[in-house]
Amino acid sequence: MGLVDIIKKGVFVDILRGMSVTGTYFVENKVTVEYPKEKLQTYPRFRGMHALLTDPETGDTKCVACMLCATICPSRCIHITGEVTPEGRSHPESFNLDLARCIFCGLCEEVCPVAAIVMTKVYELASFDKGDFWLTKEKLLANQVNAHKEVFAAPAAGAPSGVTRDRPVAGEEER
Amino acid sequence: MSDPVAQLIFLIVKAILMPVLIITFVAFVIYFERKFAGFFAGRVGPTYLGPWGSLQSFGDIIKLLSKEDVTPLRADKLVFKMAPYIAFIPVFAVIAVLPFGPVGGGPNLFGHRFDYVIANFDAGVVLLLAMGALSVYGVVLAGWSSNSNYSLLGGLRAGAQMISYELAMGFSVVGVVLMAGSLNFVDIVNGQAGNFWEWYFIPQVVGGLVFFIASIAELNRTPFDLAEAEQELVAGHLTEYSGMRWGMFYFAEYVNLVVISAIVSTLYFGGWRAPLTVLDFIPGPIWLFLKMIAFIFLYMWVRWTIIRYRYNQLMSIGWKVLLPLSLANLVVTAIVVSLQG
Repeated sequence: MGLVDIIKKGVFVDILRGMSVTGTYFVENKVTVEYPKEKLQTYPRFRGMHALLTDPETGDTKCVACMLCATICPSRCIHITGEVTPEGRSHPESFNLDLARCIFCGLCEEVCPVAAIVMTKVYELASFDKGDFWLTKEKLLANQVNAHKEVFAAPAAGAPSGVTRDRPVAGEEER
Repeated sequence: MSDPVAQLIFLIVKAILMPVLIITFVAFVIYFERKFAGFFAGRVGPTYLGPWGSLQSFGDIIKLLSKEDVTPLRADKLVFKMAPYIAFIPVFAVIAVLPFGPVGGGPNLFGHRFDYVIANFDAGVVLLLAMGALSVYGVVLAGWSSNSNYSLLGGLRAGAQMISYELAMGFSVVGVVLMAGSLNFVDIVNGQAGNFWEWYFIPQVVGGLVFFIASIAELNRTPFDLAEAEQELVAGHLTEYSGMRWGMFYFAEYVNLVVISAIVSTLYFGGWRAPLTVLDFIPGPIWLFLKMIAFIFLYMWVRWTIIRYRYNQLMSIGWKVLLPLSLANLVVTAIVVSLQG
């Protein structure tokens, strides 16, 4: 140990430097978010609980029961039964999503050709009732109020459909 | 009312009031320790109970009291149950000899003389060192009686650490004792009469630093908390304790913190004396309290900054650095004091 080291230790250079760091944190603004009282804003592409969007013009669900989401789902948590309406439009008779199995990968949202299923900003999903994780079509439709406004416009009356996707909607011609 | 009766009444009042005040203060010291632990890491600390979480300690006490008090099956039951008290009581004994205001002089309260000290005891420094050494028995006995390897290791480490640092601590205090020419805390404070540059921390700067570092080891606080090193020993001597018995150890630790802060202020920073004589109109207890708060904050700052030393580093600091330094400080002080006559 050289003389410099001895002097450094004698006057506590390193310790005082460390204490100045903690002292700075002491007076700085605190980083804590006191969660239940205050919440962070989610990012505009946050993948929370799903929602089914309705068409603002007809008020009917956009979903055409093409089964792409059910097919691509890695955890097989989407269960759809399709039917054809009297107008000849394909339409989900039932649309069930098992949230307890969902891994929130967002593939269903990406693959949907009509942007009917989206993931929302809802992330407080804990529940005492297992039934709450079985999302029926009604629950999914009701959840569309929580859809990301930045990406999907709210289903207000008269509003444009608001679906902004940066790639062309696939599979439109086949049907 | 005759004077001896008045003195007896004063004594009883002081002997009851001081521990009560210190215990109340300790509850808030624990709260501030947790709050500042957060602040030093950029967090906010407890916020829920009371304004800014200030009643957190009382919530903790209720929680600890309502918990089950588990005694290990093969523990030495009697020693296991006694250990928290052995850790707790010696700490309080030191309060008796610490002056918190002027002692002696004429009548100053209800026509009688009120001494701002519980016991004007001639061997106060000896009592301090003896009680400091006794309180480690609580830790060692807790470690031994728990019948757990972690506890035993924690207790052994506490014992070894105490032996290493008690020596340096004792030698550094002797420097102050030589300068004051007395083992009595009242005389030590009187020897520091005057402005703050008359205090002992300037002539005794080496002894003061050694005492401060050794007192951190005595308090079992980071960076010298080898006895309860969480990463290696679970909780050291506290591993098998639960409920309020654990709380007693925790509480004793903080009473010790408060008392050691008062001792550092008294030995090196003028005790209850104002930093400038023109400020003497502010009563002594307030000055002592302010100095204690400053040192408690310093102890917390050190604790939440410096990481724990390794066991061999702890030993080499104690034996190769602090002990020679305190001895050199003692020799120099003795020469200077005897030359000054």
